[in-house]
Amino acid sequence: MRKMIAAGLAALASAGMAGAEEPVLNIYNWSDYIAPDTIPGFEKETGIKVNYDVFDSNEVVEAKMLTGSTNYDIVVPSLEFMARQAQAGVFQPIDKAALANYGNLDPKLMAIAATNDEGNTYGVPYMMYTIGIGYNRDKVAERLGSDTIDSWSALFDPEQAAKLQGCGIALLDSPSEITAAALNYLGLDPTSEKTEDLEAAMALLAKVRPYVRYFHSSQYINDLANGDICLTVGYSGDILQARNRATEAGQGVRVAYAIPKEGAQVGFDMLAIPSDAPHPENALKFIDYFLRPEVAAAVSDHVFYANVNARATPLVAAEVREDPGIYPAPEVMDKLYTARPHKQRYDRALTRAWTTLKTGQ
Amino acid sequence: MRLRALAGWLRIEGRAAVVAVPLVWLGLFFLLPFVVLAKIAVSESVIARPPYLPIWDWAEGVLNISLNFGNFQFLTEDPLYLLAYLGSLKMAAVSTVIALLIGYPMAYVIARAPSNRRNILLMLVVLPFWTSFLLRVYAWIGILKGNGLLNGLLMATGIIHEPLVILQTDFAVYLGIVYSYLPFMILPLYSTLVKLDEALLEASADLGARPFVTFVTVTLPLSVPGIIAGALLVFIPAVGEFVIPALLGGPKTLMIGSVLWNEFFSNRDWPVASAVAIVMLVVLVLPIGLLQRTQSEKEENA
Amino acid sequence: MTEAIAARGARPWEDPAVAPFLQIRNVTKRFGSYTAVNDVSLDIYRGELFCLLGGSGCGKSTLLRMLAGFETPTSGQILIDGEDMSGVPPYLRDTNMMFQSYALFPHMSVEKNIAYGLKRDGVKRAEVATRVTEMLSLVQLDGLAARKPHQLSGGQRQRVALARALIRKPKLLMLDEPLGALDKKLREETQRELIKIQETLGVTFVVVTHDQEEAMTLSTRLGVMTAGEIMQVGTPHDVYEYPQSRFVADFIGSVNLFEGRIAGDFEDHATIHSPDTGSEILVSHGISGVKGQPVAVALRPEKIAIERRLPETVANRLRARVEDVSYMGNLSVFHVTLPTGKPVKVSQTNRLRSDDDAIRAGEEVEIGWDGAASVVVTA
Repeated sequence: MRKMIAAGLAALASAGMAGAEEPVLNIYNWSDYIAPDTIPGFEKETGIKVNYDVFDSNEVVEAKMLTGSTNYDIVVPSLEFMARQAQAGVFQPIDKAALANYGNLDPKLMAIAATNDEGNTYGVPYMMYTIGIGYNRDKVAERLGSDTIDSWSALFDPEQAAKLQGCGIALLDSPSEITAAALNYLGLDPTSEKTEDLEAAMALLAKVRPYVRYFHSSQYINDLANGDICLTVGYSGDILQARNRATEAGQGVRVAYAIPKEGAQVGFDMLAIPSDAPHPENALKFIDYFLRPEVAAAVSDHVFYANVNARATPLVAAEVREDPGIYPAPEVMDKLYTARPHKQRYDRALTRAWTTLKTGQ
Repeated sequence: MRLRALAGWLRIEGRAAVVAVPLVWLGLFFLLPFVVLAKIAVSESVIARPPYLPIWDWAEGVLNISLNFGNFQFLTEDPLYLLAYLGSLKMAAVSTVIALLIGYPMAYVIARAPSNRRNILLMLVVLPFWTSFLLRVYAWIGILKGNGLLNGLLMATGIIHEPLVILQTDFAVYLGIVYSYLPFMILPLYSTLVKLDEALLEASADLGARPFVTFVTVTLPLSVPGIIAGALLVFIPAVGEFVIPALLGGPKTLMIGSVLWNEFFSNRDWPVASAVAIVMLVVLVLPIGLLQRTQSEKEENA
Repeated sequence: MTEAIAARGARPWEDPAVAPFLQIRNVTKRFGSYTAVNDVSLDIYRGELFCLLGGSGCGKSTLLRMLAGFETPTSGQILIDGEDMSGVPPYLRDTNMMFQSYALFPHMSVEKNIAYGLKRDGVKRAEVATRVTEMLSLVQLDGLAARKPHQLSGGQRQRVALARALIRKPKLLMLDEPLGALDKKLREETQRELIKIQETLGVTFVVVTHDQEEAMTLSTRLGVMTAGEIMQVGTPHDVYEYPQSRFVADFIGSVNLFEGRIAGDFEDHATIHSPDTGSEILVSHGISGVKGQPVAVALRPEKIAIERRLPETVANRLRARVEDVSYMGNLSVFHVTLPTGKPVKVSQTNRLRSDDDAIRAGEEVEIGWDGAASVVVTA
């Protein structure tokens, strides 16, 4: 409905005042992924009315974007998804000249992002995340003898996984991320699309498969916080959210997040402008607003994800900034790897192998 | 004379209008989506927007139509699809039988209740629909999970000492499907049973049949239409069910809904996803159509 | 077989040596505060075709349902063949019922419907088949065995219901409005057949009906019911000619009731003073009552003579004015008014095809009846 009204207004506006955009902006972002005052602050300053929609799956966003005519001005897919959608012509290049604060972005991280988005053409990083291990300190201590996990072996070593089976292991239902972690653990290229590498990763996963209770991409947040599971592979921010919930609940569940020493996947969620966005200028205004250090820092404080804004870091609350799960130490940064968009054939092979892994079929 | 002609015309037009409503409905909400689906199913997947090739193009006065049936052939090449169809059919069939076994006595009791109490009982059956389906499925997660209500209760009473793993099993999926679709079983059963002439049951008793025999020889056969309607209403949506196995099921639960999801979202292969959907539709519609036909033939021959 | 035929001639209810087959003793049935059957006692004898006659809601069906076991008496006792039926469920009773709606099993063929009771009794297949065939021919439905109930006419369905109820050779067959759904012509035919079948099989029948003509035609005896009570039990002749109450006199057939008081009470005759007729009515038989007691003289229309002038030998003679003449074909009904204003119905058989001298509306006439033609009712 909102979209329809917005579209109607857009039609009216473009008929009325040629050139100038109506003061409306349609944003489509992950759920729970913004500070409470980000949008009101932007609206107050610019007089632009923001319509804010949320999603919780890259795949759903992709399906929508590939259908077209979404009416969104800003969408926030993960980098490798954005890269593939850009190939399909879904996004328009970012006019960096219109972004006064573009220089605030950390060049090192921008270089990592550029591996998937050449020249950082189509997106501006919103937040950065890692995919590591979340665990219940006490239950893990009970079974493994230490309340700290620092290696993927806690999951990929069948002996250790077997010990943790009783208290519950969960994995992201995301073949690409888990396979990359397995490849990395095996010392192979985590972005490899070679058949033999996929087979090797699946062989590793098959050994620990019996100890995995479920595969799901968000269920683990609650379960980890409640003590229903004791180890999961998940997104840094989600696990830290589980940690905070557990603390608030005060039931004695202590959750921790680890970026294992072997390395982990780092990902970026990207602010991108659809090629058919009705208000591209307003979109750029918002991106520039977000690039202000204080705005980005406020979002990080709230969502427990690191931003990519070098000038924002000192403004981020100490508990967030100093959390190595959110802002990894420089030596850890060197071990992180990014995902690449897959060729369709590889995706099919991967999904199929993943189904076999999960169901045994 | 003219008036009468007008009245006749109105009557015919009126009838046509009445017939037209369901036809338009079917055309708009079944046939049209089906045609779109069929179109995508014979297309080819590409990285583009939309992510498939058009099936025709018009170039220099030549119309080229290319239909790619490879997607359907592809479904036969990997046993995954057959297994997923069978898995779904089995899951749906078992759920339907359980729903029938639970729903029949409930419908029977409601139909035999005093008429002033029937509406209240019926309302209680429909009551869960007043809250979101998703919320109710989530509620089951809270009940079934490791430290959820059920395990808590069982442990508190000392029946078990370690929490049972109920969630993320096929059992939880059966439970979820039966729970969610039970009203669809009860309502048609109720409407058949409530119409059942009490005199028939009395006649049967009068002729020497004990209550159980009466049930088997009279009540049950006469409620077959309700059983069929209820079973279809549970079976059909259960075959395509995605949400319940996704939320309550374990990783081993292989159903066509999740295969479809994978094809569409993970593989981004809309044509194969559409082919999967079309085959599912055929798998469902054909036997039901045949059943309908034999039923109506039986009626006529009877 | 002989018993039933005997029942038509003999009168077992008059023979104290014959024990009643069905005994209804002080049976009362209440539904909440409503009393459907009120303290009914009734004996029915083996081989009888007994009719319970009454209007809707009179309790006749409830009484029948208690006999079948579908309802439990609130108080009282029912004995069938000397056996107390309380607590015996319908499926253990040696009785059968033919339902008003027939209650044929719609999903079964005629054959299966009829065989149903035998199968429940565990009768062997071959015997079931023979007996079904017998039954089919008894009710003249040969050749229709494979049909389903919805493919039959109303009359055929009625026969299937009858056959189904009879095949177990019940001690007692109850029929709830057995002919109610048939048209008049078919009803008359079927009435005769029903009697024939009853006499052939010798089964005791209890029939519930609201149709007094049907009750008169069918029954050996009948019981007239109203408001949960039985008003009178007797042969059709007794009930018609000797009604014991205004209600029964009025309910069965057509009647003129003259209200009055006993004026003279003699051994062989009595006189009733009636303001309705403005005269003293002569009744040529003794009555039980005291002088001055209020009574009514019940007089059937066909027992009244109507002439322009009646012979003086006629005991009761009244002047009347013809208001209207209804031509019914076989008879004509004269609606006349006495000088007192009391309307009286008189019927006369039409012996001639046309009668130029027939009495017409508006004429002054005389009506009269014999002293033995009327009945004095006190209740």
